[in-house]
Amino acid sequence: MMMNNTYTKSIPIGRWSLIAITIIWFLLLILVPVGGLIQKLLASPVAETLQGLTTKAAVNAFLLTIKVTVITILINTVMGVLMARVLVKQNFKGRLLIEGLIDLPFAISPVVAGFMIVILFGPYGWLGGWLEGMGVKVVYSVPGIILATIFVTLPFVAKEVIPVYRQFGQQSEETAQVMGASQWQTFWWITLPSIKWGVIYGVTLALARSLGEFGAVLVVSGNIIGQTQTATLYIHQQFTDFDYSGAYAASLVIAMVAFTILIVIQTITNRHREA
Amino acid sequence: MSIVINNLRKQFGHALVVNNVSLEIQEGELFVLLGASGSGKSTILRIIAGLLEPDSGSVTINGVDMTHVDARKRNVGMVFQNYSLFGHLTVFENVEFGLQVRKLPKAQRRNRSKELLEAVGLTGLGHRYPAQLSGGQQQRVAVARALAYNPRVLLMDEPFGALDVKIRGTLRQNLQEIQRRLNVTTILVTHDQEEAFELADRIGVIERGQLIEIGPPDVLYHHPKTEIVATFIGGGNILVGREEEGRIRLGKVFLPMPDQAPLHAQGSPVRVLFRPETVVLSREAFSNASGIYPLGQGRVLKRIFNGPVQRLVLEMEELAGVRPLKPVPRYGQPRTRIEVVETTTGLHHGARFDETLWVGVRDYHILEPSGIKFLVYTGSPERNPAAQELALHLGQLTRGAVTLFSVVSNDMEMSEVQAEMERIQNVWQERIPLLTTEVVKGERHEQVYLKTQSGIYDILVADPKFTGQHEMKPALQNLLEETLLPVLTVSQSQKGILHILICTAAGEPGKSDVQVGGRLAMRAHAKATVFSVLTSPDDQVETRRVEQHLEQARQSLTGLGIACDTRLGLGEPMAEIFNQAAKPAYDLVVLGAPLPQAPQRIHWPDVAQRITRELNKPVLLVPMMTT
Repeated sequence: MMMNNTYTKSIPIGRWSLIAITIIWFLLLILVPVGGLIQKLLASPVAETLQGLTTKAAVNAFLLTIKVTVITILINTVMGVLMARVLVKQNFKGRLLIEGLIDLPFAISPVVAGFMIVILFGPYGWLGGWLEGMGVKVVYSVPGIILATIFVTLPFVAKEVIPVYRQFGQQSEETAQVMGASQWQTFWWITLPSIKWGVIYGVTLALARSLGEFGAVLVVSGNIIGQTQTATLYIHQQFTDFDYSGAYAASLVIAMVAFTILIVIQTITNRHREA
Repeated sequence: MSIVINNLRKQFGHALVVNNVSLEIQEGELFVLLGASGSGKSTILRIIAGLLEPDSGSVTINGVDMTHVDARKRNVGMVFQNYSLFGHLTVFENVEFGLQVRKLPKAQRRNRSKELLEAVGLTGLGHRYPAQLSGGQQQRVAVARALAYNPRVLLMDEPFGALDVKIRGTLRQNLQEIQRRLNVTTILVTHDQEEAFELADRIGVIERGQLIEIGPPDVLYHHPKTEIVATFIGGGNILVGREEEGRIRLGKVFLPMPDQAPLHAQGSPVRVLFRPETVVLSREAFSNASGIYPLGQGRVLKRIFNGPVQRLVLEMEELAGVRPLKPVPRYGQPRTRIEVVETTTGLHHGARFDETLWVGVRDYHILEPSGIKFLVYTGSPERNPAAQELALHLGQLTRGAVTLFSVVSNDMEMSEVQAEMERIQNVWQERIPLLTTEVVKGERHEQVYLKTQSGIYDILVADPKFTGQHEMKPALQNLLEETLLPVLTVSQSQKGILHILICTAAGEPGKSDVQVGGRLAMRAHAKATVFSVLTSPDDQVETRRVEQHLEQARQSLTGLGIACDTRLGLGEPMAEIFNQAAKPAYDLVVLGAPLPQAPQRIHWPDVAQRITRELNKPVLLVPMMTT
């Protein structure tokens, strides 16, 4: 017992200091800024805050963000699951290349990504000119914003689904196949229920990212108030116009949504771990 | 005929996994495919299910060609090795899945699944999830699920593999009952011989992608055709004797050749199988009237008491020198050992340790004569590949077994040679199913010698420059004397063996040159010419003896179905043999090699050396035994 006591007593200094550093770091970087935001907001009158959120520009910005996010998530969910399915089940030349490059949107700065879209779809771009001729405007318009958001959130779903799909393996699908199930039946009744946590997790991450995307959207959108201004662009606009209360209010909304998403992700992870 | 498989073949990359498998399975039959893991049995099952497409061959189910039909349209039930139950569905939903995709109304589905769960003894567990069931229960759900939609055929891949031994027995009985009741044609794949025996109507033994033998369990157990099946199924003793005047000689013991035994050439090896439980032990010698075939006396080396039976290992005095294939002899083991299983009849009655007893067999079985087994010493990769090429060619031609054997001195060489061996294996595997390769590290001569002593091989194939150019003579001579194995030396590439010259001398004590040459000619479907030299044509006695010798050789070869003629040379033996052998008509020369203790009429090593070195054709040197 004595031995044990001396042992446990000799360690805490180092251990406690490490824990302390972690906590201070966390406070400094996360809690204090969030606290500051809340404090600023509470300091300003409630009416002013609500007013900041209900201006036409703010409402339009949030509506656009919701619209972009919904479309992005729908497309990315379908495409992400499809990509994962192809990458897991098919063996073709270039499969590994695609699997490796799928992370590219993570690595590239969103501003650069936005710029690439402008190059390609801008009025003088390869595709932009041709599309403009057909009456479709991509850059400085909503389709461009959606395209940019899809690009930066592309890896989330595929990336989360691939390992789950791989672990799920082919045998259940083969079993269903032998039992006479069509590809569709197999996918809906067997595969999708088995990989659903991966899909949900990936979608949630993509959701958080597309709500908060700024850089790529900034380059592509042209930031036209009421037309191509998303919530994050609106915050930025308010901030540069020294209208801080509007910026705080909108920021808090975004932060709260992000917090909610975080809780959802935590819940999913825990459930997934239990399963 | 419920399932007909015809010439099925499947290759994964270079590996030939299913090699020309043909099979017919009757309506309602429970057929078991028995084989070690990796033998290709599961692949065959997957091809029948439609999960894999064969490279060639066909699968017919109930008269309909299903080879290229989609798995979902085959109406086949399958139980996978780990059951592959759908974890997110309840037992009911699992069982009903096949009915759901067939769009059966819900009420009917539930009735059917209740019926099946009752049949497999899982009534009341329908609402559970697979994770809430034991392994045995999961297996039964898998069976019920596979049968739910009345499949034409039930396929089972190691269905008992994941279960512990205790519940296997019960589940086997359960499965058999259901299978009989529903009369569904079933193919079950397993590596477990006990399982195969207990369940199968017929068993197909599969090894390295080839279906070796098919038959009811008792026939395969008591009367297998091949050594592979005899050793794979059950314990047993396989001894290699020799045909001698219509009898089988095992050391000092003679056994009559059974009437139904496959035809054996005179003096050829005979493989005798007797199961441990057919051995009878007695403290007194067997009388002639006992109906027991005596094998002489044996001493109990090992005794393992098992309750109802005891297992014994006996060392057999009078079987000394007999080559056992099973039990596999330990290196340096002087006497032949046999395994015996004896029913224990009481405390003081059974055989005791170290006791010497009379040994006999109630029954024995003769395996079909095997193909020739070639051991090929391949040397290093940069060596002359002619020996290897010819051996592979002969292996294919004679449907024999070929072992490519390499000795290397370091690890770098090892990996290099191994890669080369793998390449050859891939290229030749299909043509020679019994092709194996082996690379060992060590001293060449010693390793090759040890390998020949395993007693498995019939012919050693090697480059004549076996241990370096200058040492050829002593090395080959030593090898022949030490191993008593015929050596086929090949220095130049030779395609096709159509005509074999057998050089023989009258008055030789054994006739192994004619026998070995004859066996090769028979297996290779080659023509044979027997050649002898008459040194003094004026000597009437000698002339008669040589002519008689040639005539006897011709008769015994013709008896093996070989097209055969004889030639007589006159003059100095060495020159005559060389001149004859040099004729382009002959593709291979067989030369008897008298051992030192034999009366030497010619100086053999000189002839062998000259012929192997100058002839530029394959030469088979046969050591002549002096018994």
